[in-house]
Amino acid sequence: MVKVVEARNVAKSFGRRRVLKDVSFSVGPGEMAGIVGENGSGKSTLLKTIVGLLSPSAGEVIVREKIGYCPQEMLVFDTLTVNENFAYFAAAYGLRSGPGENGWRARERFLLSRFGFSSYRDVPVSNLSGGTKQKLNLSLAVLHKPGLLVLDEPYSGFDWETYLHFWDYAAELKAAGRSFLVVSHFLHDRSKFDAVYELREGVLRCA
Amino acid sequence: MRLRYIAAAWRMSVRELLRSRIAVILFLIIPTLFYAVILLTTTHKEIVFRLASVSEEMFIRVSQRQEALVFIGLAAVGLLTSFLALNLTQKHADANRRLILCGYTASELLSSKFLTLAGLIVGIGVYISILLLLFFEPRRLPLVFLGFMLAGFVYGCYGLMIGAIFRRELEGILLIVLLANIDIGWLQNPIYYADAQNTFIIRHLPAYFPSQVSMTAAFSGHSILAPLGGSLVYGGLLLLAAGLVFGWKMRIRK
Repeated sequence: MVKVVEARNVAKSFGRRRVLKDVSFSVGPGEMAGIVGENGSGKSTLLKTIVGLLSPSAGEVIVREKIGYCPQEMLVFDTLTVNENFAYFAAAYGLRSGPGENGWRARERFLLSRFGFSSYRDVPVSNLSGGTKQKLNLSLAVLHKPGLLVLDEPYSGFDWETYLHFWDYAAELKAAGRSFLVVSHFLHDRSKFDAVYELREGVLRCA
Repeated sequence: MRLRYIAAAWRMSVRELLRSRIAVILFLIIPTLFYAVILLTTTHKEIVFRLASVSEEMFIRVSQRQEALVFIGLAAVGLLTSFLALNLTQKHADANRRLILCGYTASELLSSKFLTLAGLIVGIGVYISILLLLFFEPRRLPLVFLGFMLAGFVYGCYGLMIGAIFRRELEGILLIVLLANIDIGWLQNPIYYADAQNTFIIRHLPAYFPSQVSMTAAFSGHSILAPLGGSLVYGGLLLLAAGLVFGWKMRIRK
């Protein structure tokens, strides 16, 4: 089976500090892999290396699907409204506004409704709560229906109900063949994952 | 470069700028404040100075206030455009990088920001030219306006570059204010450089050529072609530097 993402002996150093050491793993189509680890263990560095924000110091990363990346920080435009952020990222993904269900506007409506923040569509992001900002952060990562979702602490700030909605949606996507790589400092329900790895002092092990 | 992408980013960039409270406040306050200070502190006494970009030894005799009105207009344009341009590349740098991860290229994003800057330069130039006209009519107003726009171009590109280099606001603002204060707010004043001991430094600072365009146009009939060309080259080099730094900071592994 061709893997969606493969990391082969990946190492990453910042100066003399070695953050990732010989990390290897892969995720297949429709699989969900989780990576846990303490704060500062290198989880976010690993994800940034996977998505291309960082280059590995050694080893290689092979990605064979469109990536949807949800960073840990809210990397959105806070002076723009929720709708304008959708428009901006839709333009980046090359999505057309188009009529009916094919355009990004239909996708926006779906995601707003799915994550329960339709009423905030025309509100500037700076006026949103942390949880609602995270809903937007996550929605922008799935807007273009990527084959591989790389999610860094995707449910931080969610209330319990939204957390459950997130997992329902993730299960649907997984059933539709999408792959996941989820990073968290703890994974509440490991049964949802096909594989769970632990990153400790830069070394990745099966948990 | 894809025009559709640039147009979308430009629209968002303009909206961001228009919603920035500090940008709007500065746009309204700086020119008004600068002109008010000049009106309160200068007289109509005549002063004599030499135009640095004019080869012949020609001395110009004008009212102190008129000279100061043109000079302070240039200072207001330079300070405003550099500060607002700094905002364009510095603010949301990480979100911009996320956009690049999603499909934009650094050159498309920078082009959209430059388009926004171009609109700003025209807007600020027009606003300051109107304020100037309230108190004094220069000999060749369109060319004085051109000088204001060139000051905006050179200082705007400087702001884009500083915004691309420095992640934190404080360093960026400090470098903007420092250079604008020393260069366009002090050394380029003809009254100062006419008697300066060393004009080499003054002639190589960013505001030199645009200042010469405005000053020459406001008070003489001499050609402004040389300082016009110098302004375009200076601004172009700063824009190139801004592009290189922005591209480097926004790089991702494809």
